[in-house]
Amino acid sequence: MTFEADARAALSDVQLRGALRQAATLFAEKRRAAMATAPDWEGARDRARAIKDETLLHLDRYLEQFTANAERAGARTHWARDDAEACEIIGRIADQRGARTIVKSKSMATEEIHLNTALAGRGIEPIETDLGEYIIQLAGETPSHIVAPAIHKTRGQIAALFAEKLGIAPSDDAAALTAAARQALRRRFAEADLGISGVNFAVAETGTILILENEGNARLTTSLPHTHIALMGIEKVIPRFADLEVFLQLLPRSGTGQVLTAYQSLLTGVKRHPDDEGPDELHIVLLDNGRSRMLRAPVTRQSLACIRCGACLNVCPVYRQIGGHAYGSVYPGPIGAILTPQLIGIERAAHLPYASSLCGACRDVCPVKIDIPAVLLHLRAEAIAQRAGTSRFFERRAFRAYAAVMARPRLYEWVMRVARALHFTPPLRAWTKWRDLRPLAPRSFREEWRAGLGRETDPWSPL
Amino acid sequence: MRVSLFVTCLADQVWPSAAVGAVRVLRRVGCAVDFDERQTCCGQPAFNTGYRPEARALAQRFIEIFEAGAPDAIVSPSGSCTAMVRHYADLFEDDGWRARAKAVAERTYELSDFLVNRLGVEDVDATFAGRLTWHDACHGLRDLGLQREPRRLLRHVRGAELVELPNAESCCGFGGTFSLKHPEISVAMLDEKVDAIERAAVDAVVSGDASCLLQIGGRLSRRGSRVRALHLADVLAATA
Amino acid sequence: MTSPTFADAARDQILGSIRAHLAASASPAPVPPVPRPLSPPDGASNLLDRFTSQLEAVGAQWTLVRGEVEAARALRRILADAGAKRVAGSDATLVARLLPERLTDLSRDELFSCDAGVTTAQWGIAETGTLVLESARERSRLASLVPPVHVALLSTGAIVASLGDALARLDVASHAITLITGPSRTSDIELTLVVGVHGPQTVHVLLLEEGE
Repeated sequence: MTFEADARAALSDVQLRGALRQAATLFAEKRRAAMATAPDWEGARDRARAIKDETLLHLDRYLEQFTANAERAGARTHWARDDAEACEIIGRIADQRGARTIVKSKSMATEEIHLNTALAGRGIEPIETDLGEYIIQLAGETPSHIVAPAIHKTRGQIAALFAEKLGIAPSDDAAALTAAARQALRRRFAEADLGISGVNFAVAETGTILILENEGNARLTTSLPHTHIALMGIEKVIPRFADLEVFLQLLPRSGTGQVLTAYQSLLTGVKRHPDDEGPDELHIVLLDNGRSRMLRAPVTRQSLACIRCGACLNVCPVYRQIGGHAYGSVYPGPIGAILTPQLIGIERAAHLPYASSLCGACRDVCPVKIDIPAVLLHLRAEAIAQRAGTSRFFERRAFRAYAAVMARPRLYEWVMRVARALHFTPPLRAWTKWRDLRPLAPRSFREEWRAGLGRETDPWSPL
Repeated sequence: MRVSLFVTCLADQVWPSAAVGAVRVLRRVGCAVDFDERQTCCGQPAFNTGYRPEARALAQRFIEIFEAGAPDAIVSPSGSCTAMVRHYADLFEDDGWRARAKAVAERTYELSDFLVNRLGVEDVDATFAGRLTWHDACHGLRDLGLQREPRRLLRHVRGAELVELPNAESCCGFGGTFSLKHPEISVAMLDEKVDAIERAAVDAVVSGDASCLLQIGGRLSRRGSRVRALHLADVLAATA
Repeated sequence: MTSPTFADAARDQILGSIRAHLAASASPAPVPPVPRPLSPPDGASNLLDRFTSQLEAVGAQWTLVRGEVEAARALRRILADAGAKRVAGSDATLVARLLPERLTDLSRDELFSCDAGVTTAQWGIAETGTLVLESARERSRLASLVPPVHVALLSTGAIVASLGDALARLDVASHAITLITGPSRTSDIELTLVVGVHGPQTVHVLLLEEGE
C-alpha cells in the first residue's frame, strides 16, 4: 500500500477521523493545563536540549561510561548494530534461559526491530502487557501512535475483539474491558520467566535505566521474571542522575498532559542479595540501527534528542487527518517523517519528508526543541540530490524551467504576458478537483507600477 | 524612510492588490517606496520542494538586487517569502555569502511587522465596513512570530469588526507543493478551516499570505460561500 | 554464550561509527547547560499540605496519625474498609510492629492472591504527590505492586519539596528505586481514563507525624 492509498483510506474512515479529532482536542487541553504547572517551561526545554546536545557530541564517551557502570552493578550489556542483530541477541538470551512465558512492556524500539516477528520465527511469542499494545497484538495490527497505540480503535471494536479472543461478554464500558485485560494478563505475569522492556533514559553516571509508565505492567515485567532484557536506542543515554529531573518535568506533560506518570522505575544492575526482589539477570541491549549516522550533521543530529513523548503527533494537522498507519512506518507523525528516512535510508522512505505542510506546530511543542521542519527540508533536499523515491521526471524539468525563467526578469515578464494573453490556466487537476483556481490578474503589479503607481508622490528613486 | 518593495512573484501575478495596497499604505505613513523591476522570485518553491541549487541561485540574485540601492528596509506583503529571506544564510557554506545574506535578511520585513514594530504605527487611516476574521499563516506566525501585529492593525480599521477565529493558527493545508502532492489531505485540513470561517459568520477572512488566500478562497468559492478572501493590505489600503 | 570477540566487534563498530560521524561534523563547542534554578525553601507545614493536596489530585488517599498506636489502629481500619483479608507486608520492622499478622516470604502465586500490600516509603515528594521506595532500604517492590491495594507508611519528616530534591537524596546502591504517583491507570481505550490496571487500584498513604 502506498502513502497516497493509505492516506485516502484513512481520510474516508469517519470513525478514525472522529477519534483523531477528539484525541487532538483532548491532548491539546491537557498539555496546556500541564504546562501551566511547570515551574519554568521554556527554561526546562532549553536545559533539556542543552543536555541532549552535550550528550550527543560525546555520545561514545557517555555510552562507555553507562555500560561500565551498569556492568559494575551486575548488568550484562550487548551491542546491536542493526535490527537483525538485536533480535538475534534477544532471541538467543530467551532460548538460553529456556523462557516459556515472556512478557513485554511497551517499547517503540522493539517495534522498530520487529522483535515479535523475529521471535515468532524462533517459536517464541512475547505477550504484550501494555493495554494499548495488548489490544493491537490481539488484533494483529501495529501501533498507530507512539504513546497511545490503539487510539484508532473504538471501544466497540475493542469489545468485539475481546469477546472473540478472550471469550468475555461484549461490553461498552472501558473499565470492564480494562478489567478483562487485567485478568487475562495477570495469569501470564504470574507465570512469566522473562521480561522485555524498553528504556526511557539511561544514566551514564550510575548505569541506571529509567522506565516510565502508568499501568504498572512495566514494573511487573521488570520485577517478577528471573531475567529482564531492556532494549535501548543509543541516543537514550544522558550524563548525570540529576539530569533526570528536567526530563521527568517535560515528558509526562508533553506526552499525556500529566505532571508525572504513575510509575518510574530506576533500575541499576541486579539485586545485590539473593533474597532481594527482582530478576537475577539484567541484559541491556544497545541499538544503533542507523542512529550513529545521524550524528554527522547538526541539522540531523537533533533528531536524536527525541524523548518519544508524542506531542508532535498530537498537534500535527496532517496526522490529525490521517492517523499513524498511513505513514507506513514504525514511527508516525512528524518525528516519524524525520526518523524513518534516516534510520532505513532516504531511498526507502523518500515520500515521508513530503507528508507535511511545514506548518511548524510540531517545533512549537517539542519539549527538546527539535526543529522538525528544518530536518524535513534537509531530507527533501537529500531526496532530490540523491534521486531517491519516485521518478519526478516532470517535476525536475518544471523546476529547472522555473529557475531559468526566474533568473531572467525580461523572460519572466514575457512568459507571464503571453500566459495572460492566452488566458492560460495550468492543468492542475490536483488543485481544481476541489478548489477554484484564481486566474492571473488582468494586470500584474509591475504593470500597475509602470502605469502610474510608481510615479505617485514619490520623492525618491535612484533608478 | 526608504523602502524597497519585495513584491513576491505570487502577489505580482495573481494578487497584485496586496502589493499595490502595501505601497499605498507605506506611502500614507510617510515612507518613500521604490520597486526594483529586476526582482522575480525569492526561491521558496524550489527550496521547500528540495531543489536547493535552484533556490541558492535565486537567493544570490535576490541578495545582489536588494543590496544595491541600500534601502532602509525591504518590505514584503508575504510572511512566507519574508521567512524564506530570513533563512537565506542557511543556503550558503561560503562565509562571504552568509554575511551578505544575513545583512539583507536583517533589513527584510513582512508588512505588518514593519508597520507595527519598526515604525510603531497601528492606525493607517483605513476604512473598511465589514465583519472580518484573521487567519494566521504558518510562516508569519511561527517563523516570524507575528500574531498581535495584524490584529492590532485591523482593530484600528474604521468600520471593521474583527472576530477571532477558533484555531486561527491551524494550518490551512497549502504548504506549497503539498497542496498538489497530497491534495486530499490538504483539502481535509482546508475544510476544517473553512468550516470554522463559515461558523464565524463573517464577510471576509483576512490573511498576510496570498498563498493561504488562494487555498482558502479557492475552497470558499467552490463551496458556494459568500465569504471573501482578502489580503491584509487589501483591507489596510481601503479608504471610505 | 556470546563469544567475546563477536560482542566486542559490534561494540567497537558502533563506537567507531559514532566517533567517525562526530569527527566528520564541524560543530562549534556546545553551550553548557543552563543551571537549574533554585526552588525556594518551603516551610515544613507547607510541604505536608502540598504533599497531601497533590496526593488527592492524583487519586491517592491519605490519613495523618500521631504515634504508632494510632497508626496501627488506622492501618487496621484502612484494610478493613478495603475488605482486605490477606495482606502482604514488606520486610520493614515498622510494618511488622503495626501489623504482626501480615504475610511475608510469599511465593508468586500467594502474592497474586493477596488483597493488599503494606510497605513504608522512604521519601515523599510534595510537588507531585509521589512516594519513593528504595530497594536497599526495604523489600517493598512486589508488595507495593501486585495486590490491588497498596498502603504506604510515610514519616512526614521524609517529605521533600521537589523531584530534584528527591533525586539528590537517592543512592543507586538500591538496584531498584520506584516512584509511585497515585494508583495505576490507563487511557488506552478511546482516551477514557480507567483507574486500576496492572498496578494497585487504591493507594493509601498513612502519614506518621514526625517526632513521634
